[in-house]
Amino acid sequence: MNNTPERRVMSETGGSPVLRADRLRKEFGKGDALVRAVDEIDLEVAQGETLAVMGPSGCGKSTLLHLLGGLERPTAGQILLAGSRLDQMGERALARLRRTAVGFVFQAFHLIDELTARENVELPALLAGRSPRAARHRAAGLLEQVGLADRAGFLPAALSGGQRQRVAIARALANDPLVVLADEPTGNLDSAATLDVLRLFDELHAAGQTLVIVTHDSRIAATADRLISMRDGAFVDETRLTGGTRGNLGSLAGLEG
Amino acid sequence: MQEVVLALLAKEPSHGYQLRARLKEALGPVGEAMNAGQIYVTLGRLEKAGLVACELEPGLPDRPDRKVYTLTPAGQQRVAAWLAEVTWPGPAPAEFHLKLVAAAAGRLADPLAIVDAQRRELLRLLRDTQRAAMDEPGGTPAGLLLEGVALRLQADLRWLEACERHWAGQGSRS
Amino acid sequence: MGHILLISRLAVRDLRHRPAQAVLLLLAIAAAAAMLTLGLALHGVTSQPYQQTRAATNGPDIVAQVGGPGAGVPAVDLGALEALTRASGVTAHSGPYPFTFVTLQANGHKAGAQVEGRDPAPAPVDQPSLAQGTWVRPGEVVLERSFADELGVGAGDQVTLNGRQFRVAGVAVTAASTLTYPHICYSGCDLSTAQLARKVPGVVWAMQTDARSLATAAEPLGYTLNLKLADPAAADAFASDYNSSHPSPSAPLLQSWQDISFNASSLVRNEQKVLQVASWLLGLLAVASVAVLVGGRMADQTRRVGLLKAVGGTPGLVAAVLLAEHLAVAVAAAAAGLLAGWLAAPLLTSPGTALLGTAGAPAVTPATFGLVVAVALGIATVATLVPAIRAARTSTVAALADAARPPHRSQRLIKVSARLPVPLLLGLRLAARRPRRTLLNVASITVTASGIVAVLCVHAGYGQSLYASSGLANPQTGKLNRVLLVLTVALVALAAVNAILISWATVLDTRHPSALTRALGATPEQVTAGLAAAQALPALAGALLGIPGGIELFATVSKDGTVTAPPAWWLIATVLGTVAAVVAVTAVPAWLGTRHSISGVLQAELA
Repeated sequence: MNNTPERRVMSETGGSPVLRADRLRKEFGKGDALVRAVDEIDLEVAQGETLAVMGPSGCGKSTLLHLLGGLERPTAGQILLAGSRLDQMGERALARLRRTAVGFVFQAFHLIDELTARENVELPALLAGRSPRAARHRAAGLLEQVGLADRAGFLPAALSGGQRQRVAIARALANDPLVVLADEPTGNLDSAATLDVLRLFDELHAAGQTLVIVTHDSRIAATADRLISMRDGAFVDETRLTGGTRGNLGSLAGLEG
Repeated sequence: MQEVVLALLAKEPSHGYQLRARLKEALGPVGEAMNAGQIYVTLGRLEKAGLVACELEPGLPDRPDRKVYTLTPAGQQRVAAWLAEVTWPGPAPAEFHLKLVAAAAGRLADPLAIVDAQRRELLRLLRDTQRAAMDEPGGTPAGLLLEGVALRLQADLRWLEACERHWAGQGSRS
Repeated sequence: MGHILLISRLAVRDLRHRPAQAVLLLLAIAAAAAMLTLGLALHGVTSQPYQQTRAATNGPDIVAQVGGPGAGVPAVDLGALEALTRASGVTAHSGPYPFTFVTLQANGHKAGAQVEGRDPAPAPVDQPSLAQGTWVRPGEVVLERSFADELGVGAGDQVTLNGRQFRVAGVAVTAASTLTYPHICYSGCDLSTAQLARKVPGVVWAMQTDARSLATAAEPLGYTLNLKLADPAAADAFASDYNSSHPSPSAPLLQSWQDISFNASSLVRNEQKVLQVASWLLGLLAVASVAVLVGGRMADQTRRVGLLKAVGGTPGLVAAVLLAEHLAVAVAAAAAGLLAGWLAAPLLTSPGTALLGTAGAPAVTPATFGLVVAVALGIATVATLVPAIRAARTSTVAALADAARPPHRSQRLIKVSARLPVPLLLGLRLAARRPRRTLLNVASITVTASGIVAVLCVHAGYGQSLYASSGLANPQTGKLNRVLLVLTVALVALAAVNAILISWATVLDTRHPSALTRALGATPEQVTAGLAAAQALPALAGALLGIPGGIELFATVSKDGTVTAPPAWWLIATVLGTVAAVVAVTAVPAWLGTRHSISGVLQAELA
């Protein structure tokens, strides 16, 4: 079993956190087949922070993200998003939350096949009740931001994996969410597409967007402010990635000193 | 580095500073920390080995940057041979691996702590590499080099995760 | 041998893996088989009962009468009647028997009855066949069966004729009389009790002495004679020749057996009209529902076929497994459907109890059995062939990768839907994804609505049925109403199964987009309303199309082409009811679907 003590992963910046979880637990199955996907997790995410959660397959990181986004209900514990208790909300309130405060990016993109990129990005705005014109305007702006303005009229089948994921990111931003939750965003992408997504996340971070990314790709994790390691449903380590020099690059690349 | 300089000279005879400029362009940020005088040291060695010939450009004598270097036939042969080589600088996990084994065997330190510390360092390096990569405009040779560095770091990090799993298992058994 | 074992194991495993779909398919095919069985049984109902009664009672070719109720002639020409027994072409006769009109009271009912005097010994022509008890004796009478059924009396009970008590010796049937219950009044019917009772009396047989003693001054005796001809087919000509050459009111009036048969089977004929409409409708609806289900499953099958191929199955093996699955389901369903149809057929096909009603009972002939089983197996084969052929043609990779056909894109609809409120936005887009299924929905609802409208036309047409108000309801309308009720119930039941199948299939197909839309911020209510709207629009179209469809259908099937259009509010109620039913049937599985966790559905779709 896990010997390291659970550490409360605190944000160092002042002010109330955007997202917060207390003693979060999610169990599947019963009796002998009981699986603790998420085991007594405490978490805080500050405004504007990029947090990466890393871990091997099956460690529960995706489940954690789904809990934070209201797509799953916790077995026990509290989740607070901008002060509201997700675990106590009904489905209707959760839906409302999902279209105002949370943007989700899935590993499998989950775009709607029969809608163009622009129509896919418009959809959350339409669901939130915005007028078609406002939704279209916002979609155009977002597609420009992710660098796909020239592909706005393409169907997902005509886009590459990296482009599809960028459309999905644009869709997640449609309603200007408080926090963007990304579940293995580069899981299905090659390294060139990964770089595109990396760049995008970097830009979002620079613009002040709060990001929580679940990944087993260390390249993505390295872009975060804070990196949490997860195993068997619990947090085991926390690293703050700051600063660093560029002086070592030469020897890293194999140039003798 | 020697073969690199030889290969760069194969294009045309060049001054030392021209070679330095081309290296810098190819390496980008990776080459920033390179010693300015290193290239002249290398050129001197090559001259001694007879792979490079040096001429003084008429004009201003006794200034090192006025020397023009050319490839000798021996040098050309060396370049051709080097281009055809497929030896690869292999990965070098042996030292770190032995570090962990020794620490565990002699109870000198907790292997897990060593792995964690190394992971953190590599993550920082990866972060820096990616920062530099994103600052490069797309498609440059320097960007490609940084990609290579990042991917190797990623591979090393994956191995460190495997090390962590292994030594955590060992720890629970002992 | 091992091959067959492998195939059956794979087939069983496949069926067990998706029990719900297998059960649905079984229900659909069973419903189709049941309706087909019913339809074929109804189709086979003929006026044959009369022939059986005629044979059993040695029924007459000609019935000649003088006098009788309403004749209003004091003198009867008995001699002319007896002269008929010696006419050319006559081979046998029985009678003349006396008859008179009496008032009968039994079981609290009061009715008119025609009492005919008979001998205890069997007559050579027209000896009524006993269904209960024994033949006439002094002080004992025999009632005609339909009359006895309406009164609720049987052998051993007491009846009162003109105030005198008689015991009921037995109950019998005859082919010689048109005065069997129910009697239909075609025109000039007066609904007052006394007149009606005179026009619609029941038939009673008594000893000749008893019958003569019941005659009164107001109701004198008449006489009836039964004749058998050398050429029974010429009876009609014989009767009309005689009647036209003897127009005097005191002369005997002749009726041929063809005449009597026509009148007797009129009840059955009317039923037949109704039943023919129904059998077509039910058959169509059954086929439509199976098409929906099998068609919906075929897309699923393509992927399954791909999986089988990927683990090394040849197209032949794949086809064999699919065929085995479908055959198993089809055989079970055919058996269930035949049983249900066989049980339900007697409810509808027993003709008036006046005739030996054996035509309805063995309605499931070997031909019907064979046809139903053949149809069920045919469905199984077609359901196998299409994906099997597709499997043989497409590559394994394509079959695996293409979980189903990609959804259809309609730019205009997407643009239009953006302006609508969220539930309609979702509903319109969902319906437009699968235009073929939407069209199938419309077609299926149209068939159902046509059926209901046609039934309403029948109801409207029979609104002018007459009710005897003598305390005895006209059993004809009662029976027809029962028939209509059973048919309407069957139609609505099949329509309900159909609607449930379509809705279930739609909800299953839209699980992924529904979960995704919820993840993007649509509330469960919006998603449920959207799905319901997606079904309601085709339902509305289908229901509206069903109005002219049903009227056309009724017009084509009804032999005389007359159509009474149902009142407008019935039609409006049908349309609204259909839409409401479809919405309700969709809303329930849709609502249940929204209770699942979103991430579960989204991740399952990747598997």
